[in-house]
Amino acid sequence: MKFINLLKKELSELVNVQMLATLGIMLLIFMMMGNIMTTAINDVVEDASHPTVNISDRDNTELSKQLIEALKAADADVNVIETEGDDYASILADNNIKNIIIITEGFTKSIEEEKKPELLSVAKMTSAASMANISNGNVGASSLINECVRNLIAETKGIDKEELQRINSPIEITENTVVDKNWAPISIGKITAKISFQNVALPIALFVLLIMTSQSLISSVSNEKIDKTLETLLSAPVSRMSVISAKMLAAAIVALINACVMMIGFTFFVKDSITNIDQEVTDAAKQMLSTDNAFRQLGLNLSAVDYLLIGLQFFFTIMICLSISIVLGSLANDAKASQTVILPIMLLVMVPYVISILTDVNSLPTAVRIVVYAIPFTHTFMAMGNLIFGNTAIYAFGLIYQIIIFAVCMYFALRLFKSDKILTMSLNIGQKSRFKKSRSHSEE
Amino acid sequence: MAKVLEVKELSKQYSKVLAADKVSFDIEEGEIFALIGPNGAGKTTTIRMISALITPTSGDAVVAGNSVVKNPDKVRECITYLPDEAGAYKNMTGLKYLQFMAGLFDTDLDKINACVDKAKEICGLGDRLNDKIGSYSRGMTRKLLLARAVMTKPKLAILDEPTSGLDVLNAIEIRKTIKKLAKEEGISFLLSSHNMLEIEFVSDRVGIISKGHLMVTGRSDELKERYNAANLEEVFERVVTANEVH
Repeated sequence: MKFINLLKKELSELVNVQMLATLGIMLLIFMMMGNIMTTAINDVVEDASHPTVNISDRDNTELSKQLIEALKAADADVNVIETEGDDYASILADNNIKNIIIITEGFTKSIEEEKKPELLSVAKMTSAASMANISNGNVGASSLINECVRNLIAETKGIDKEELQRINSPIEITENTVVDKNWAPISIGKITAKISFQNVALPIALFVLLIMTSQSLISSVSNEKIDKTLETLLSAPVSRMSVISAKMLAAAIVALINACVMMIGFTFFVKDSITNIDQEVTDAAKQMLSTDNAFRQLGLNLSAVDYLLIGLQFFFTIMICLSISIVLGSLANDAKASQTVILPIMLLVMVPYVISILTDVNSLPTAVRIVVYAIPFTHTFMAMGNLIFGNTAIYAFGLIYQIIIFAVCMYFALRLFKSDKILTMSLNIGQKSRFKKSRSHSEE
Repeated sequence: MAKVLEVKELSKQYSKVLAADKVSFDIEEGEIFALIGPNGAGKTTTIRMISALITPTSGDAVVAGNSVVKNPDKVRECITYLPDEAGAYKNMTGLKYLQFMAGLFDTDLDKINACVDKAKEICGLGDRLNDKIGSYSRGMTRKLLLARAVMTKPKLAILDEPTSGLDVLNAIEIRKTIKKLAKEEGISFLLSSHNMLEIEFVSDRVGIISKGHLMVTGRSDELKERYNAANLEEVFERVVTANEVH
């Protein structure tokens, strides 16, 4: 009953309008990001299926006209533009276009003289974003013109179409991928394209969750210490174990609410954006073997047990964060210190987060790998990958290691709460400088 | 009268500082005892040891028959503690705060409600109890906290600087409330304060502490006579200065 009373109080402190507003905004951001991604991807898909080709014919021969007709026949929106000179920036600006293909003067003559004809491709770059430059009409048009000219040369040389096709692609490459003891006829590129998103987005969500949860508990403990409500609470007839447990449970419940909202937002994001790529851009790939089937064949799909194991590791990660936060919150004796003490958690989360996005920890040199795996949060960022690729031993080691770390952190947090130090210890950030300041003032 | 608190040679050694050195005094039922001393004299350390917040290095304090060393949980059931410049949970309403605190002392809903009703009467905040504590003035918060400290009718209420930072009218009101509760409810009080006028008015007995030593204890008039002083402030000055010279 007393514990429920404490828990209700902790929850009422943590669940407030600010927290709910933050969650709502986070959900909105995920949904908006999903919509933006959908629009961007739709544009790319639209551009890929009906490219707009701006072309300037400076050669003005029968062949160059035939090439333009071939582009029109290939379902491209072809704009023929008159241009002169080599000030390409002005050409694009004057015609209000982003790209243009220029068939140079002497193009046909070069082919006739068995030289390489020159085709100019001009494109405007306005952003470094991958999606902004993923497609422009020049790529498809250049490729089509290249093919037309190749066919023309082949015809001149008396090579028939079948023979030409064989010359172009003399061997058939069938890509196979092996995962653990299973294999499937699919390229590694297609697998990584599908799972790279969850490998990036989930660590971001976990990173935000850990920092938010830690910050809320640190603030809760430090505020109680600063306002001296902690002294009142500890002098009341309730066990210190109840006080610490209520704080941690309330923070864990709030973390769970945060995680649920993030997962809902994440689902919107994934549904809106990624399925479009999967369905429309990689349609051709599915003719051989759909990625879903390949994933099943390779055992890359996560089972319900896998999700449960990931959830278990997430739980211990949050509990470790909370037990460290209790100790760190106790160190703060003012608002500034309460914001600063989160730094150790921030670093411990940041290092494995960045590494998990950039590389595979298992491929690092042994010494570095040991250091990275010594950080308890590394195992959480690696959990999904380890389960997908069947590294169950590493997963199990990670889980056991986290349970041990949690027990150690909890032991120290409890010892701290049961000792005098909970009231007497503090992190005197800036006190020395304040002292120096006051001394210099008095000397003046 | 029965002794509610017996402090026996209570000492606290921090790493380099002896904050309290063999402090001994006692408080009877319904008595108001004031512990006074300069900053850093050891008042708060002594109070925290009696409140079972920190463990004494040596010695003991017995509250209503319960030792703070051997049975701190029982001690917490008999006392309430109001720290110096304490705040309350700003997002809670005054009423919720009282209900929450009463819920830590008892699990019986009727008893909890009785405590809250008593606190409502003592603090006199009326409808403002339905507002969030964050909107309260300092005086209102202090009245709420004092009401919280006495609503459970503890054997011993420990108040560290109960009127610090308050205006004259609020301070007078709180002093009157303390005197009334001691007289009518039989609650014993251990106070600490820097305000000698307040101590003279409110306390039955005074203890002057300096550099961790409890120098003297006695009634205000006794001490004034002993030190040939016009008021308690002069007594304080002489006792503390004499200790510093030594």
